Amino acid sequence: MNDLLDGRPAMMLRVRAIARRNAYVLQRAPQRWFDVVFWPTVDTLLFGAVGVQLSRASGGGHAAVAAVVSGILLFHIVFQAEVGLSTGFMEETWSRNLLNLLVTPLREGEYLAGVVLFGLLKLAIAIATVSLVALALFAFHVTDFGLALIPLAAVLLVVGWAVGLVVIGLILRVGQGAEILAWGLLAMVLPLSGAFYPVSALPGPLQPIARLLPTTRVFAAGRGVLAGHGLAWSQLGLASVSTVVITVLAIAWVYRSLAVFRARGYISRHV
Amino acid sequence: MEPEPRLVLRAAGLTKRYRRTQAVGGVDLAVAAGERVALLGPNGAGKTTTLMMLLGVVTPDSGWVEVAGCRLPKQRSQAARHVGFAAGYLPLPERLRVREFLTMFGRLYGIADPAPAVALGLERFGISHLADNMGNELSSGQRTLVGIIKATLHRPMLLILDEPTASLDPDVALRVRAGLERLCAEEGTALLVTSHNMIEVERLCERVVFIAGGIVVADGKPADVASRFGVDDLEEVFIHLAAAEPRR
Repeated sequence: MNDLLDGRPAMMLRVRAIARRNAYVLQRAPQRWFDVVFWPTVDTLLFGAVGVQLSRASGGGHAAVAAVVSGILLFHIVFQAEVGLSTGFMEETWSRNLLNLLVTPLREGEYLAGVVLFGLLKLAIAIATVSLVALALFAFHVTDFGLALIPLAAVLLVVGWAVGLVVIGLILRVGQGAEILAWGLLAMVLPLSGAFYPVSALPGPLQPIARLLPTTRVFAAGRGVLAGHGLAWSQLGLASVSTVVITVLAIAWVYRSLAVFRARGYISRHV
Repeated sequence: MEPEPRLVLRAAGLTKRYRRTQAVGGVDLAVAAGERVALLGPNGAGKTTTLMMLLGVVTPDSGWVEVAGCRLPKQRSQAARHVGFAAGYLPLPERLRVREFLTMFGRLYGIADPAPAVALGLERFGISHLADNMGNELSSGQRTLVGIIKATLHRPMLLILDEPTASLDPDVALRVRAGLERLCAEEGTALLVTSHNMIEVERLCERVVFIAGGIVVADGKPADVASRFGVDDLEEVFIHLAAAEPRR
């Protein structure tokens, strides 16, 4: 046997290997740039224009535009974190590489860390895209959030990863039929979270559900910051607590799904 | 008295049921260091399920597996450091060059600088000229060779191959076989291989284990197993077992 690294250095090596593998995919697959550049641009343009029209109709001025554009910026943090994680895993199923990975010393946590690590780079590209388009076309400065953007983004990032884990768990159990949920789950979360409007704008029966989502409180806190009310730490605290709960459940779900995957021999779906 | 051979793989009482089908019904298997063993049987006999359980990819319903002294599933990651796996049916991931693919897997196995191991593997199987090709530019034979190199970068104690030469031209199959023989001779690697090519098995392996209906029905040297069934070679043993196997 070669002199193989052990312990922490081996772990770091494996995490970097997975991150680099994902970097090659982004580098060589033009369609992957849709998620990190094209859709952020389209979304910012679309929702920014809606914001402009709203401000004209309501006389809300630049604040109305900022409320909508900031919503799409914050939404893309959740979206990119989630899609970066779930599509990183899906890439292994698409290229039938799952079995190759499962027979190596790679541990589940190391794999996820590698995908998340590279996902952060994709997230940075996407958020830079939204910020630049928002600035150039709608005069919205991301710096208007000030330092409040850091805790807001941190909660959204973790929510995105948690949803990504849920999607990975579903793919492990159901197979590639569950892939559509990588994009679909967040499409459901977006309107319920009140990314562009307060929860009171939602139909009555949906409002209690919306209030349970951590994203709802983060978007509301973000609008509060832009309106000059400062960061609502109580909202953010509640969002953080529910995010921790969701994340713990998502981790348990993905580990349980992997156990089911191994017990039922679902690897046969991916070879 | 001969000393007890050092075992790189021990498995006992492995069973696996998928819904109404008993895929594996109680397999015991041991492979000694440097031993070359073929796991044979008709389609649906339970070979691949057995391999997947030995690799920790499928959890057995009962029984246990120990690789290089590491018990699965608890010590799966440690055990995997001592095992290499390749299958003739696995493609190479898209968007990776051969060298990048091998380097990635070298690192996953814990090799800090995989470049020398990658170069040696490519040279051993005579495909150094393909190092910068994209995975999807390779023929199926070339992909198989790259898969085997991937499985041997870390100089494992045990190399598990599932149908390594399926659908390969005879000349490529010969190169695979020659490369494996060279590897086993140079590194003392134990081999556990499934194949439907009985001639290849007789050339490559010193011991065969026949599975039928999910249980081991014969285990021994190829000539001994053939004579136990009253036939001349492994091909006839295979045909005999396939005919007796209930259709699934």
